[in-house]
Amino acid sequence: MASSAKQWTPKEAEEWTREDTIAVVISPLVYILLMLGTALSFMLRPIGFVALAAGVALLVVLVRVIDPKLSAVSKGYELRQKQYIEDLERAVKWEG
Amino acid sequence: MVVFTFLDWFWLVAFIVLMIGSGALFYRLGKRSESDFFLAGRGLPWWLPASSVYATHTATDTPMWVSGVVYRHGLAGLWYGFFAAWCAVSAFVSTKIFRRSLAYTQAEWQSLRYGGMSGELLRGWVAGWQVFLNMFILGWVGIAMGKVCFFLFGWPTWIGLVLFSSLCAVYVLAAGFWGVVMADFQQGIIAFVAIVFVSIWGIHAAGGPQTIVDKLAALGETSKLNPFAFTGFTTGDFPVAWFVTMIVIGVIGGFGMATAIDWFPEAQRIQSARSVKDASWSIWAGQALVVTRNAIWAAAILAFFTLYPNLSEVKDYEMAWFRLGFETLPAGMIGFFFAAIVAIHLSTISTHLNLGAVYITRDLYHHYVNPKAGERRLVLVGRVGTLVLLAGSFVFGSIMENITEWLIFALWIMAAGVWLPGILQVVWWRFNGWGYLSAWVFNLVFSWLVVWVLPAFGVLPHLRDYQQFWLLMILGAAVFIPVTFATKPEDMDRLVKFYVMSRPVGWWGPVRREAERRGLI
Repeated sequence: MASSAKQWTPKEAEEWTREDTIAVVISPLVYILLMLGTALSFMLRPIGFVALAAGVALLVVLVRVIDPKLSAVSKGYELRQKQYIEDLERAVKWEG
Repeated sequence: MVVFTFLDWFWLVAFIVLMIGSGALFYRLGKRSESDFFLAGRGLPWWLPASSVYATHTATDTPMWVSGVVYRHGLAGLWYGFFAAWCAVSAFVSTKIFRRSLAYTQAEWQSLRYGGMSGELLRGWVAGWQVFLNMFILGWVGIAMGKVCFFLFGWPTWIGLVLFSSLCAVYVLAAGFWGVVMADFQQGIIAFVAIVFVSIWGIHAAGGPQTIVDKLAALGETSKLNPFAFTGFTTGDFPVAWFVTMIVIGVIGGFGMATAIDWFPEAQRIQSARSVKDASWSIWAGQALVVTRNAIWAAAILAFFTLYPNLSEVKDYEMAWFRLGFETLPAGMIGFFFAAIVAIHLSTISTHLNLGAVYITRDLYHHYVNPKAGERRLVLVGRVGTLVLLAGSFVFGSIMENITEWLIFALWIMAAGVWLPGILQVVWWRFNGWGYLSAWVFNLVFSWLVVWVLPAFGVLPHLRDYQQFWLLMILGAAVFIPVTFATKPEDMDRLVKFYVMSRPVGWWGPVRREAERRGLI
C-alpha cells in the first residue's frame, strides 16, 4: 500500500487523517474475524479458516497503515515527555 | 471430589513457586519509587502490558460466564464478550490521548481535564469508587476460587478465598506492579496453553469436530454453530437490537474514556508502556487475545453441549469448561489443569490488589493527605493499601452470595448513563466537569428508577437490558447537556495545556485556535 511507505513527521502525524479512519474501521473487523474464525476453525468449518485468514490479512494491512504514524507520534511526544512528567507532578498537587 | 496423584501435586507446587517467585524477584525494582510500584517505571515494551491485559481478564469466573452464554446461545453467545471491541478503536484514539496525559489513573486524569471544585470532586469520586470496586471484584473472584476448591477438594469456600489471595499478595506487596506484570506474563502463557490443550482434549473426548457438528444436527441445534442466529429484531433471546447495541457500546465507546469497566485496569497498563506506540499495541493485542480465547472456549463448550445437552440449571452448565478438564484429562494432568486455574486466578487478583492501591496512594494519600511525601513513604502507603484491599476482599467474599445482584447493578450503571459523557469528555472541548459530575449523580438516580423502582410500581414495564441502556442514555443527556451549557466552560489555559499535551480528537476548534495563537502547536 502506498500509505505504508509514507514517512510521517511528528507534526503531520498529530493530525487525524485517512489512515486513522481506516484503522478504526479495520480494527474491530479484525477482532470479529479472529474471534469467529478461531471458533469455527476449531469445528473444522471451511468458513472458519477463510475468516481466520481474512483476519490475519487485515491485521497486516492495519499494521502497515497505522504503525508508521504511531511511530512518528511516539517519537515526537517522547522528546517532551520528561518535561510533561515534571509538569504533571506540579499540576496535580492538592492546594486546598 | 478429585483425587490428586503425586504428579498432580508436583505441577501445582512447582507452578505456585514459579508464579510467586517470578513476581517477588522484582522486589528491588518495585520499591524504588511510586512510579515503579504502580507503573513499573513507565518502561515496558508492548508485549508485557499486553500479556497483563489478557491475563487480568482471564479470571476464575470467566470460563463459567463464557460457558453459560455459549451453552445457551451457541456461538452467538460470543457477542456477549464483544464489548472488548472498545479496545480495537481505543488503541488508536483514546489510548493515545490517555497515555500522553501521563495520569497514573483515570481519577488523576479528571483533574487534568477539569479544573476547580468539579475536577476535585470528580477525582475524589472516581478514586473512592475504584477502591470500593476493586475490593468488590477481589471478593467476587476470590469466592469463585473458593467454589472451585470446594468442587475439587471439598474445602470450605473461605479456604480457597483466603489461601490463594494471600499467596498472591506476597509478590504484589514485595514488587508492586513489577511483580504483577512479570507474573502475569508467565501466568498468561500457562493459562493460554491450558485453555488450548483442555479445549482440544474436550473436543476430542466428544468425538471430534465432525461428530460434534453431526450431533448438533441430530439434536436440532445446528443454529448453535451460527454466530448470527438472531431470534428477531426485538424478540427472543438474541434480538438484532441487542446485538446492535452491543456493537455500538463497544466500537463507539472506544473513542471515549471510562466507557467500559475494563478501562480502569487498562489505564494502568497504558501508562506502564514505554511509549505511546507501545501503549496502543499493548491494548490492541491484549484484548485480541481475549476475544480469541473466548472463541477457543466456545468450541469446547459446544463439545460439552453434545455430551450433556439437557442441563437446565445455570450452576450445572456454567461449570462446563471446568468439567471438561476434570472429567476427561488423564491422571497426572489434573494438577497441571488446576495449576493453570491458579494462574488464571492469581493474575486477576494481583491486578486488582495493585490497582486499588494506586487509587489509595496516588489519588487519596498523595493528592489530599501528604502531597510532599517522599518515594519511600509512597511505596509504604502502596503496601498498606494493598493489605487493606486484601482484608476488604475477605469481608466482601464472605457475604458475596447476598450482594452479587448489587454488584451486577453497580457494573451496569457504570456502563449505561456515563457511557456518552465518557466519550464527550474526550471529543468535545465544551463538555465540563459539572456536566460529567451531574451525569454520574443522576445516573445513580435514574438507574434505580428505571431498573427497579418504576417497574415495581407498574409505572414502567420491565425493560430488556439494551432498552434500559438507551433509555438511561437519553435521560442522562437530558440532564448533563443543560448542566454543561448552564455552567462555565473549563478555563482556557487548562484546556490549551491539556490539548497541546494530549491532542484529543473531535470538536476542539476554539482550543486549537488558541493554542496556535500562542504558538504552542
